[in-house]
Parts: sequence; C-alpha cells; structure tokens
Amino acid sequence: MKSLIRAEILKLLKQGKTYYALGSLFLIEAVILFSAYYQGSNIIDLLLENLKKSFYFEGTLLNGNLLVYLILNTLWFHLPLILMIVVSGTLTAEYKDRTIQTIMLQPVRKWKFMLSKYIVAILFTILVVLLLAVTAFGCSYAIFGKGDLIVYLNTLNFFTAKEAAYRLQWAFVAGGLSMIFFSVASLTIAVIFKEATKTWIVAAFFLIFSNILLKVDFGNNWFNQLFFAKLNDTWQYFFYYEIVWGMIYQNMALLFIYIALFMGIGIYLFHKKDIG
Amino acid sequence: MKNILFIFLFVFLWEAGLTAQSIDPALLSIKQRMDSIASFSTNLKLEVDISFINMPVKTARMSYKKGEAIKFSSNDFVLIPKRGLDFSLNGIFEYSFITVDRGMEKRNGQLLKVINIIPTDKRADFSIATLLLDTKNRRVMESEINTKKDGTYILLMHYADQYNALPDRVEVNFEIEKLKIPINFMGKDTDIDRKKLRTAGTKTGKIFLTMSNYQLVFIK
Repeated sequence: MKSLIRAEILKLLKQGKTYYALGSLFLIEAVILFSAYYQGSNIIDLLLENLKKSFYFEGTLLNGNLLVYLILNTLWFHLPLILMIVVSGTLTAEYKDRTIQTIMLQPVRKWKFMLSKYIVAILFTILVVLLLAVTAFGCSYAIFGKGDLIVYLNTLNFFTAKEAAYRLQWAFVAGGLSMIFFSVASLTIAVIFKEATKTWIVAAFFLIFSNILLKVDFGNNWFNQLFFAKLNDTWQYFFYYEIVWGMIYQNMALLFIYIALFMGIGIYLFHKKDIG
Repeated sequence: MKNILFIFLFVFLWEAGLTAQSIDPALLSIKQRMDSIASFSTNLKLEVDISFINMPVKTARMSYKKGEAIKFSSNDFVLIPKRGLDFSLNGIFEYSFITVDRGMEKRNGQLLKVINIIPTDKRADFSIATLLLDTKNRRVMESEINTKKDGTYILLMHYADQYNALPDRVEVNFEIEKLKIPINFMGKDTDIDRKKLRTAGTKTGKIFLTMSNYQLVFIK
C-alpha cells in the first residue's frame, strides 16, 4: 500500500498540470487579495454607515484579517474547481494513456490502487489548503498589517486581532475539509466517467449545483442540516460571535461520513468495472 | 446729553439684566470650574450595548488640552461616541443660547437643578438640551441633548466622589438605525446592493465609558 501511495505521489508531482494548477491558484489568490483591498473599504463603509451618525472611529478595519476573510469567501469556489480538475486528472489520465491496464497487470489489488489514489488526493488537497493559508496570512499581514475584524452575520461582529487570527485558522481547517470532500467526489466522478472532459464537466456541474443548493433555504428540517451541500459553509460558523462548536462538530462529522461514502462508492465501482 | 446718558445706561442695564436672566448662574459656575482645567488625560474603557452589534470591551487613551479637540489613541478599533465626552461643555457654549429654569428634581436621593438650554444661533447642532446640575458640587449629573441631525442623546454621569470635577463613568444612550443588509456579508456573493438596504426602525443603543487614572492639570 505504501509503495502504491508513493507511486501516486510521484505521478502527481511529475504531471505538469499539478504545477499549472498551483500557479493559477496563487495567481487567483493574489488577484483576490488586491481586489479585496479595494472592495474592503466599500464594505466597511456600508457596514458602518449607520454607526457614523453616533460614533467617531479610531483605528482601521481594512487590515490583513479582513483581507484573509475576504480571500476565504472567494476561495471556496475557485479552489475546489481547480482541485477537482487536478485530482480527477490523476485517474482520467491513466485511462487515456492506458497506464491503468499496465498497472492492473501487476499484482495490485484494485481497491488498494483506488484507495491510494484517494489518499494522495486528500494529502494533496491538505497541502494546497495549507499553502494557501500560509500565503494568505503571510501576504495579508505583511502588506496590510493586523487589526480587528468586522463580519456581518445577522449582527455586526467585531473580533480582536488575536481572536480573528484564531477563528480564521479554524475556518481554513473547516474549509479544507470541504475541499477534501470535493476532491474525493471528483475522483469518484472520474471512476464513473473515465474520460477527462466528461469528468470535468460533471465535476464542475457538481460544484456549481452544490453552491446553488447551499444558498437555497430548505427550512428548518433534517434535510437542511444533513444534506452535503449545506455543510460546505461550516467555516462561516467560526464568525458568529459565540462559536457554535456543537454545530461545527456535527457538520464536520457529517462531512467525514460523506467523504467516506464517496470514497466507498468510488472504490466499489472501480472494483466492479472492467478496465479498458 | 442727559438723554443720551440715560439711553446708554438703560441699554447697558437691560442687556446686562437679560444676560443674567438668560444663562443660568449654576451652569456658568460649572463652566467656570471646567475652564479651570488646562489639560487632562485618562484611560478609557468602552463597552458597547447595541442589540445588533457584538463587540468586545475596548480600551483607549483619551487626552484633552484646553482650546483643542479631544484626542484618542488605541491599538484596537474603537467606537467613540460623538456625545458624552465633552466634559468642558464647549459644545454647548460654542454658540449663543438661553437657559430656562425648570426647577428641582430628585435623582437617587440627590436634589438636582433642571435647566433647559435653547440655542439662539442657527448654527448650533442641537435644538434643545436638558441638564440636571449638582449645584452644590458644581457638576453636570445628567443631560438630554436633542440634536438636529443625530437624534437624542441621554448622558448619565457618575462620579467617584463628591469632589471630582470629571466623571469616572458615563452612560451614553443614543438612537441608532438598525441596518438590514440583504445578504450575509460577503457570504458567497460579494456584491452588496446599496439600493436594497432597508432600515428597520430606530433602536436605542448604549455605550458605557469608564475612565481611570486621570491626570489633571489645572490653570494656576
């Protein structure tokens, strides 16, 4: 199993599209960072509009913490899209180049082969999220400094710089889990469709569909709480004034179950299907 | 010549009488006491109590120098109320006004003089103010200021002891419009349509200011 994982890592690192994906992600992050800076002052103006009448403001809210928060808001759509292309590509490329047939001629169990792909997809996703978090914090703090964070979630919530950094770090963890879910889902889609273009279209559709459903309010019922699309904004729970840990644990546990379910389905289908 | 002298004397006495009647002596006495302060600085603790705002307790440093605007400094982002920190009463005395004696009122067992301040200059930013004065200790205990643009402010002053000229705790009550933003702030869609913003009535908010470590310099 270890050698399979090692081989998968090697394949991922050898393929050119991995680096194109990483490069485009950092480019997107830089663009978001600067657009967020210009957008930030507008948003602060809007949020503080009714307070201007009664208060003077001392200090600035347009700082690194606000920019990381803005990056998080935008990143959770672009990041899974690119991750899904790279991750699903690790399998579709094997079908296209027929290397999968060569591998299957070796004494390799199909489920182990597929499991190693999932494990490498998860490790790659974690690495990318970690790199993005480090660069987001690093660039934002270096250029715009630290400071209090303002967030509007039904109420205007202010967090001290220290508290904001703590919550933003946790938001990356929760968001990272959602990214793992999308990576795993894309690999399962690749198992079903085999061909790269079809897989990408379906994966992109899956992501867009999830994002649309995330915004639809299904009312206060079990479906609204358990449906996978509804779990992908768990990171926002860290910006309620009192962190709703119970809900976060529940959502993260559910996401783990969905990840395991999609992996299980992928491995099962791969095991059942003929290679060719 | 006699007539001119008589007219001059009449006008002078009439003016003097009007002035004496217009501005309450207790208020002038308090103003005089406040004017004796050359400068002060203090640590400020700010606690915001507004239903739709969650903000941790903030600290700032406040400093005042006679003839200059109050200055604030803080490492955090702080909300400084527009009213409630004008201890020198310069805001009220900026433009001409008259006062009306409203008698005495009891607050927490203490008898306070109630006066109305009515500006006679259009440039004043308030239409009427009601002040409750502790005439014995020469200080303002409570005030209600009806501003022309920013609603009504009610200020409650608490002093550590009967000799202090400056309050140790101020409660500022003000009117604030509740902002309703059509989407969760930058949830997934970062566009906020200003036209869709709707206000849902006026709410009252409070801010508690606690001052400590006063450093006062009086005019010699």
